[in-house]
Amino acid sequence: MIKLLSMILMCLCLSVPVYSDDGNAILKKVDRNLNPDSFEMYRKLINIEPDGSKKEFIMFTVKKGRDQVASVFLSPASEKGRATLRLGENMWLYIPNVGKPIRITSLQSVTGGIFNNADIMRLDYSLIPNKIECFASSGMLIKTLYFKRVQDFGGGIVRPAVIETDSPLHKGYRSIMIFAKMKKKELPDEVFTLNFLSKVESLR
Amino acid sequence: MKKTLFALSVYVAGLVLIFFQPAFGQGEYEFDLSEIEKEIEKKPYYIGGFLEFRPVLFGLDRDSAFHKLRFFDQDKGSTLEQYNFGLRLEGGYQKGIASVYFRTDSVLWYDYQGWDGDIDLLEGYLSLKPGPSFTLDAGKKVVQWGKGYAFNAVNFVSRPKDPDDPTEPVEGYYLAVADWIKSFGGHLKTLAFTPVILPVTKSINDKFGKPDHINFAAKLYFLLWDTDLDLLFLTGESRTTRYGLDFARNITANFAVHGEFAWLPGFDKKSIDSEGHLYTEKSDILKYLFGIRYLTTNDMTFIIEYYHNGAGLDGEDADNFYRFVDRAYDTYLSTGNSSELDRAAQLSQGSLSTAKPMRDYLYFRAGWNEPFDILYFTPAVFSIINLNDRSLSITPELLYKPITNLEFRLRGAFLVGGKDTEYGEKLNDYKIELRVRYFF
Repeated sequence: MIKLLSMILMCLCLSVPVYSDDGNAILKKVDRNLNPDSFEMYRKLINIEPDGSKKEFIMFTVKKGRDQVASVFLSPASEKGRATLRLGENMWLYIPNVGKPIRITSLQSVTGGIFNNADIMRLDYSLIPNKIECFASSGMLIKTLYFKRVQDFGGGIVRPAVIETDSPLHKGYRSIMIFAKMKKKELPDEVFTLNFLSKVESLR
Repeated sequence: MKKTLFALSVYVAGLVLIFFQPAFGQGEYEFDLSEIEKEIEKKPYYIGGFLEFRPVLFGLDRDSAFHKLRFFDQDKGSTLEQYNFGLRLEGGYQKGIASVYFRTDSVLWYDYQGWDGDIDLLEGYLSLKPGPSFTLDAGKKVVQWGKGYAFNAVNFVSRPKDPDDPTEPVEGYYLAVADWIKSFGGHLKTLAFTPVILPVTKSINDKFGKPDHINFAAKLYFLLWDTDLDLLFLTGESRTTRYGLDFARNITANFAVHGEFAWLPGFDKKSIDSEGHLYTEKSDILKYLFGIRYLTTNDMTFIIEYYHNGAGLDGEDADNFYRFVDRAYDTYLSTGNSSELDRAAQLSQGSLSTAKPMRDYLYFRAGWNEPFDILYFTPAVFSIINLNDRSLSITPELLYKPITNLEFRLRGAFLVGGKDTEYGEKLNDYKIELRVRYFF
């Protein structure tokens, strides 16, 4: 409880760069690792449309250090097996039908909806912000990220279990990312390689 | 001092406002974490795939060489329809370090010839993974090599993909493949070695090359200075020995380049004379491609690839073939004898049966992810240009995934080219296709 309170206090005191021209730059500025060095986790991504209909995605993610992240979609069936790997500034996409990883631009969108790749691949925040607003260079608000339900995942991992996003560009739409089963895991560097990308799901 | 205080006050007020405002103005999303945990529970097996309905309308080019070859003795009018029903089934089972995987395609279609169908095992193999550094697979498997999107010069152990649909899977070969991976710090981040053994008999992998031989191939991969590099080779008696190199690199966060080179010494290069005779001569062949991928700020992706296939037919070979077809058709009209047309059809199923049979091609694709804020909608257009005869195809495409597991794709391919050109002599002038897939 004390840990939670101290974090909320830290959030109130330190969430300086809430507004900026570049949302991703903010996320970089507030980058301090509250997660273990090497871990696995599941995330459920829910896109809710104005009429209440939903699209849900489940991803399994492994991460090591600050710049090694691999994710694979477990559902829905149409996306199953689609995997991404980020190694520093390098990023690859594996589509099961294609049968080989393709190097993509690191800004490439992997799935539809309001969350973009940066949101999906970025897992660390130096503080737990309450809200982050992302603006285009023109000053237009692109989207807002809301961080909710700070949760103790065990093993010293305390972080928001839910991130919500909405955007004035997509009025009435919102996206929710729920974190689950986050735990420390020893992962060799070979997991974060092009050759292993098609096999990431076997780590579960 | 006052200014500083004012700025600080505004900042703190903003901060407090942000912190205490009902940040979640649209209401709390309720969920049950235990339900989610149940959903993500791992099962040792899985089965999935999709059902597909794909009607196609062909607009025939009645003066083209391939129309003469196919319909010389029948009048099919100016359009043809085809209705395709497909089932892709794939599944796997994992126990310890061992797993099995399969992927099948079952297709039923109806066209002017009536109903027909086909079932293919695309992949089916056993995989052993004692750890992340080593994998051994044996069975029917697709081993795709190369960095190209639409074309590949170094895909030594797989069937060529279709540049008109490069993200569709191809059928694998029966082979054994290992993968050894080692990671490092420093400029060389990854080193991986992938050897392949591919046997060819009269009943296994017979399309690969000469039967009754065992072929060996290998790929050595480096991630060096943030650049993907592969050195590759294939040797054996089924095909001529060949060597390859490919690379891919991100230049900026929204711009990537790639390339492939293949050298095939002593390759049996084919040529066609004006009498429709096929000649083979040994020749050292070079195949290569260069490509870029560029993402704009408004989420448009451009892919451009130039491909040179030194083993392809040159302009003179193609001219000879089309003239031979014209003469064979004239002979049929005047005598009723179709033997020359039959010979031309056989010729077309050999040298001209590959997706892009000639030497130099340019591929261009522009796709716009969710334009005008329409979610799950991706319009695109792509074009394949035969640089040797200046003919081309241009294909606009609309992809929409309105609800989970349902996908619609509408595309129209329009072929542009004069007489004696690749796209000018194809069976159809245009093709309109709707593809509906439901995944399960």
